[in-house]
Amino acid sequence: MRICILGLDCAAPEVVFGDERLVNIRRLMDSGVYGRLESVVPPITVPAWMCMTTSQDPGSLGVYGFRNRSDYSYEKLGFANSNSIKAFAMWDQLALEGKKSIIMGVPPNFPPRRINGISIGCFLTPDPVRDEFTHPTSIKSKITELVGEYPVDVKNFRTDRKDWLRDEIFRMSRKQWEIVHWLMREQEWDYFHYVDIGLDRVHHGFWNYFDKQHVQYEAGSPYESVIPEYYLWLDEQIGRVMESLDEETILLLVSDHGAKRLDGGFAVNQWLIQEGLLVLNQYPKEVTPFNKLDVDWSKTRVWSEGGYYARVFFNVQGREPQGTISPADYERFRDEMKARFEGLADDKGRPLDSLVFKPNEIYRSLRNVAPDLIVHFGGLSWRSIGTVGYPELHVQENDTGPDACNHAQFGMFVLAAPNSPLSGVYEGARLLDIAPTLLDLGGYEIPDSMQGRSLVAGMEKKQTDGMNDAGSEKIIHDRLAGLGYV
Amino acid sequence: MKKKVIVIGLDGLEPTIVESLLQHGELPNLSRIRQHGHYGRIKTTYPAQTPVAWSSFATGTNPGAHGIFDFIRRDPETYQPDLALSQFLPPKNAFSPPRVVSRRKGVALWKVLAQAGVPSTVLRFPCAFPPDVGCGRILAGVGVPDLRGGQGTGAFYTQDPTITAQEHEQLVHLAKADDIKTHVIGPRNTSVKPFTDLTTEIRVRVDRAASKLIIETGGTPAKIEVAEKAWGPWVRLKFKLSMLQSIPGMVRFYVCQLAPLIQFYASPVNFDPASPLYPISAPAEYARELADKVGLFSTLGMAEDHTAYNNGRFDEQAYQAQCDSVFEEREKMMLFELDRFREGFFFVLFDTPDRVQHMFWRLRDRQHPGYNPDLAQRCEEPIEKMYRRCDKMLASVVNRLDENTLVIVLSDHGFNSFRRSFDTNTWLWQQGLLALKNDKKPAEDLTNPAESIDWSKTHAYAVGLGGIYLNLRGREQAGIVHEGAEADRVRKAIEEGLREIVDSERQRPAIQSVSRRESIYSGAFVSESPDLLVNFQEGYRVSWQSAVGGFSDTLLSDNTRFWSGDHIIDPEAVPGVLFMNHPVRRENAAITDMAPTILHYLGVPADPAMEGESLI
Repeated sequence: MRICILGLDCAAPEVVFGDERLVNIRRLMDSGVYGRLESVVPPITVPAWMCMTTSQDPGSLGVYGFRNRSDYSYEKLGFANSNSIKAFAMWDQLALEGKKSIIMGVPPNFPPRRINGISIGCFLTPDPVRDEFTHPTSIKSKITELVGEYPVDVKNFRTDRKDWLRDEIFRMSRKQWEIVHWLMREQEWDYFHYVDIGLDRVHHGFWNYFDKQHVQYEAGSPYESVIPEYYLWLDEQIGRVMESLDEETILLLVSDHGAKRLDGGFAVNQWLIQEGLLVLNQYPKEVTPFNKLDVDWSKTRVWSEGGYYARVFFNVQGREPQGTISPADYERFRDEMKARFEGLADDKGRPLDSLVFKPNEIYRSLRNVAPDLIVHFGGLSWRSIGTVGYPELHVQENDTGPDACNHAQFGMFVLAAPNSPLSGVYEGARLLDIAPTLLDLGGYEIPDSMQGRSLVAGMEKKQTDGMNDAGSEKIIHDRLAGLGYV
Repeated sequence: MKKKVIVIGLDGLEPTIVESLLQHGELPNLSRIRQHGHYGRIKTTYPAQTPVAWSSFATGTNPGAHGIFDFIRRDPETYQPDLALSQFLPPKNAFSPPRVVSRRKGVALWKVLAQAGVPSTVLRFPCAFPPDVGCGRILAGVGVPDLRGGQGTGAFYTQDPTITAQEHEQLVHLAKADDIKTHVIGPRNTSVKPFTDLTTEIRVRVDRAASKLIIETGGTPAKIEVAEKAWGPWVRLKFKLSMLQSIPGMVRFYVCQLAPLIQFYASPVNFDPASPLYPISAPAEYARELADKVGLFSTLGMAEDHTAYNNGRFDEQAYQAQCDSVFEEREKMMLFELDRFREGFFFVLFDTPDRVQHMFWRLRDRQHPGYNPDLAQRCEEPIEKMYRRCDKMLASVVNRLDENTLVIVLSDHGFNSFRRSFDTNTWLWQQGLLALKNDKKPAEDLTNPAESIDWSKTHAYAVGLGGIYLNLRGREQAGIVHEGAEADRVRKAIEEGLREIVDSERQRPAIQSVSRRESIYSGAFVSESPDLLVNFQEGYRVSWQSAVGGFSDTLLSDNTRFWSGDHIIDPEAVPGVLFMNHPVRRENAAITDMAPTILHYLGVPADPAMEGESLI
């Protein structure tokens, strides 16, 4: 059985399942199983998609976000790329069984993975005009022939130029889907996996116009319909794919995480400074990014990276160059910090209800340099602001540009397969369950490295013996009804 | 200045009527067009039918090259009749819907234009369901089904328990109360076996003082009021297929009477242009755009509700009122498009003249069995009225005439009386060319004719509006006739036999001629056409029963239906009309000349497959 995955980056279950105009998705929901899908911590595009395809948690992959500490020095941060994750993915399993795959935009996929089949770079491709972003390389010229210059992302999508942003996102996605349809039709594949990044960009750019609860929501904005329109357009593309598939294909719509409104940002390093945990030689006169600060490491105990969530690092003796926390005190201190993060308030003095995770507790193993704590401020309603120099700890502007949306812990999935015994709503599915489930339904081996469970484990698969066409004679007869001439 | 071609199709306009009205100065706008150029008769296709002729208009070819030979085709595997315009294909997988493809082949002129970069807007084209994509804006016409998949099945609601369903309708018996819960019948749910009907609830209350019905629809508008003897507005409804999916549609109600018993009628449930079940326009969202701009419109191919009128569910006035609103909808979309039409090709078809003539011909033909002098007087020449209405509509087109615009007004075929019907299958049986099982005799009540026929002894059979097929070995599922000398003998027997048919009651021959397909068709799809085509005399047509492969009790009988005019006779006797604001190089225009003419005017070379030649 073939496997087709249409990845909808950031697709929110409440939108996908709540808009009845998404007729193709509804038809798919009706013929399969669907529900919320619990993402990993952190629910971030990198590493979430690879957690899904390898069924391994971020700790086991050793990738905790886009940027990761390369070692225990204070400065070295590395950007994750395709070489950061070598774990065994679904397409590797298919390759073992002699099957071909097409992966397109599944992050991180630059440099393009050299899989058995076709691999096309993701939004991390630095320059799709100059870089070789496809494997085999010949595919690039075919793509250019079909759609011209191939956009992998909308650069600088955190912008106030909303008309430009909307048009650029649609322009990118139209080209990408044209390639999707072409690859599906013209190329050989048993595993197809595309990730639409446009949806994520649309959410970040326009969520405040769409979500009536958003602090920046204004009724009647011309951008109110941008998000629903994008979903409608995606539904059309999905419909085209649905029509083109044969009877022996599993189809999965899936998101790596959901979307939720941002109430603001919490200036985490500024707070650590206030608390005396992060010590500067000189406090900046203006808003300054963390890596430009003059840190007195000999007195610093804690610092953090910003982003949609906080990666918090401790300055540990014998681990960091100028460690201040004795290893013997590490766990006690970590519990104390966890409690202090959990006790933070929002801008109005109400509990912020942040979630604080110890990586060793939530991951099966820890590879590379893991944060000491991971914090979801306000359960991801608040961003983590690493920059320092604001008048307040709670800020409305984002240090990396306008952004209206954060990621939510729960994404979505719709799974339809001719042999799937599941139907209706499924509660309790997790991102790591996807790969074993698909391999199980597809009739492939599930590698031992996979940590999730097949949702259809132990269940009897349905027989797939074609369509029942009883009664079609009546339908044919009725086609002439009302013709007048008869 | 960019060149423009505006084509207004007036379906079924009959030359003799047009010429007489022209003579009396009753068609001033058509007269003006003629003064600028040309009026003449235009040769139609074999057979003279809307989908066949308009397909030849679009492709510039004879039917053998575009594959549309009739409204009705038969499946040689099952001998069952089916609609010949589009093909419904089963779903390719468990989660996709059935697909529909148009059966019209060949290259339409809008495709040739698109390839040359010339834009087209084509409104309500027959046999274009689903329409060609990427050739401009196209809205499909005749051939678009209702939500049940047919050409129009309405529903009659009555408090009279003795009333039973007639042909092609749903019947709903109402409780005897002034506040009733009932439902609108939507599409079939084919995902369950046996199939069920999807319905949506409505509440109907009578306001006796105001003589109107208050219908709470649960759709948009949520509540409507419809006066007795009046049509309500379009109501958008949803039919729930599951918790997740519903199928949108729209319906209009007509209140037949409120006393002594409540009776009302719901039109066939049309596709909602904003979200049709299948694509009715190209680009797909074009139908929605039109509805946003000009209001909701009938999407059903045969929008005029002749079946309900034929069944006596409403009267002449109601049918005409509905024809009027269909005409108005069409006029509105035409005006909207003409306002933004700057270059290229524009086409709109008004089907209403065809539907009015089908139903009211008996009021202008004293020899028609259904002639009714009182009604004829009351209705005041409904056909001529429709012609005048068409002419009036043309004012806004005539006002757009300039030296860079070619205006063409044409009909696809003419019209004639349908007084008597001839049952081809009954005749074949009489000749021993068709056998029935178990010594049965031809009769109307043979419910599934294909199963009553003894195919092992049948040489030929009729399906469709004039076609006869040989029961050919190797082609038909249980074919017995060998191609060659044997087939030729059968053909000859049919040709000679039919030519001699005389209607003894009327003392007239019923059939003008019989055409072999080789003599009238050429091209890649000839093999799909009937082997023989019966060309009837004026006043005659194939029987209702033979059209769907069945039998009548008698060979020749009076046509007593309201459907009293028709055009499926010898095509030489029912040419259409052609007006152009440009002189022609030659007479004897044929409908296949139109595509080359239009392309020529726009400076685009005709497709090599096109058989016609430019008239200008």
